[in-house]
Amino acid sequence: MSLKNIREQFRSKEISAEEQVKECFKKINENKDLNIFINEFQEDALKKAQHIDNNFDDFKALPLGGVPIAHKDIFCTEGRVTTCGSKMLEKFVPPYESTVTENCNKAGSIMIGKTNMDEFAMGSSNETSFFGPVVNPWGESLVPGGSSGGSAACVAAGITSISTGTDTGGSIRQPAALCGITGLKPTYGLVSRWGMIAFCSSMDQAGPFARDAFGCATLLDVMASYDMKDSTCAKRKEVSYEKCLEQDFGKLKIGVLKGIENLGISDDVLKAYENSKDMLIELGHSFVELDFSELSSGICSYYVIAPAECSSNLSRFDGVKFGHRAEAENINDLYLKTRSEGFGDEVQKRIMIGAYVLSAGFYDAYYRKAQRVRRMIKSKFDSFFNSVDLVFLPTTLDQAFEMNRESSDPNRMYKEDLLTIPANLAGLPAISFPNGFANELPTGAQFVGNYFSEDLILNLTNKLQEVTDWHKMTP
Amino acid sequence: MDKIELKNLLFLARLGADEKDYPKIIEKLQNTFQMIDQMNELDLEQFEPLNNPLELTNISREDKDNDRNQKKDFLKNSPKSDEDYFVVPKIIE
Repeated sequence: MSLKNIREQFRSKEISAEEQVKECFKKINENKDLNIFINEFQEDALKKAQHIDNNFDDFKALPLGGVPIAHKDIFCTEGRVTTCGSKMLEKFVPPYESTVTENCNKAGSIMIGKTNMDEFAMGSSNETSFFGPVVNPWGESLVPGGSSGGSAACVAAGITSISTGTDTGGSIRQPAALCGITGLKPTYGLVSRWGMIAFCSSMDQAGPFARDAFGCATLLDVMASYDMKDSTCAKRKEVSYEKCLEQDFGKLKIGVLKGIENLGISDDVLKAYENSKDMLIELGHSFVELDFSELSSGICSYYVIAPAECSSNLSRFDGVKFGHRAEAENINDLYLKTRSEGFGDEVQKRIMIGAYVLSAGFYDAYYRKAQRVRRMIKSKFDSFFNSVDLVFLPTTLDQAFEMNRESSDPNRMYKEDLLTIPANLAGLPAISFPNGFANELPTGAQFVGNYFSEDLILNLTNKLQEVTDWHKMTP
Repeated sequence: MDKIELKNLLFLARLGADEKDYPKIIEKLQNTFQMIDQMNELDLEQFEPLNNPLELTNISREDKDNDRNQKKDFLKNSPKSDEDYFVVPKIIE
């Protein structure tokens, strides 16, 4: 069910908050084999639901009053274990609440659990989680995408209508596409990163998952807030994204990439993309072809900058103040053993790459150069937005793929992010939505907008969803 | 990358690995660097390095104390503590 329906049913007293929560846990139990949750909070959720029902008048007008929600286990929740998908934080109980979860709590939502994810958000298939992989609700041998795979699968399986995720290189949009739901990565700085466990601080951004643009707009209204506790949080004009859905933005100029058929995108994804273009024309919009031959260099830049920032951010996990600690005789062994035992292979690999590119002698050759590529990508987008209102492209190269995929290309998994990474490097907002079906699996496409144009890309997605049914399909 | 370079890198990253796994780790790292090295084909001199997409300036808050003393909460998360201190193995040999 969509957020809109759930909220209406709560407001009209058709279904109580308690009944909603009970329904969620029924579905959680029916879908145990999907491994969506790292922790569930049935007792607390029921208690909060009863409190909401008993104080109905205080909650009925709140944007998420009585609505069950699942949070990615990257957001610190005070007094509740927050693992970030890692053995390192298996028993970590944060003494504070993230701004995102606090905003959601204040808006009347009911947290039912914390969702599984790639370890420290490093992965595109959810297979790097210490707690085992998440299964895509569309197929028992398929990945849900990553790193916010648990949150995406949760909405796709119909357990909740909304969930939270984070997107550093595509970690909201790629799983949204692979699970057939809608997911938005906001402009860098729109949503506070306070209490969100850091991976790559200059790109990490939290955002909403929902069935449709309406759900994403409403949840974004709640998540976005200026926060003094995050020095990179942007001050902006207060906007109601939900209200913007009804606004008329007129006929738009939409940028599409020249030579997109040469990027290695599957025929099925390309076909769905072309169909969506036809629909956009029917809605009265027009296309402008853009030359973005530098697109693929985004991956190179990302896989230098993200590991560099990760190696720095993850240096705090030393076994002293919190997290896993190995038995050791001296302090150096303590660091080495703690980190080798606590981190999985992918995280260790990225820490090593990061340490390497930041080390004396390689800094200019790798890190500096990657930052120049980042500027180049940003400049490219800046020039695009002189002639178009937004850019339209597929979200992924292909549909949901098999777990433990063997590939002749060792970097195949990294290339998964080809079409999502540029928005992260430039800090731009982008929304992925279901735009077709092939092989009984969903396909996804995305709109990338100019800075703080979430209102526009949500509005256009909503307009498309008014004339299509892809977002209503369920596994 | 050879075994000595990897050993140095592992120490720099404060990670440990069994020497028998070194060839596998080197191969994985080299594969990734092969992809990254495609950057070398680009002419980038005209582009200044970009740290942050919005090029934000730092903000400061009012220098005001708050009454939230969480010492106990933080020490509770420590694998080993004693009274007000985090306990670590011997540092000076």
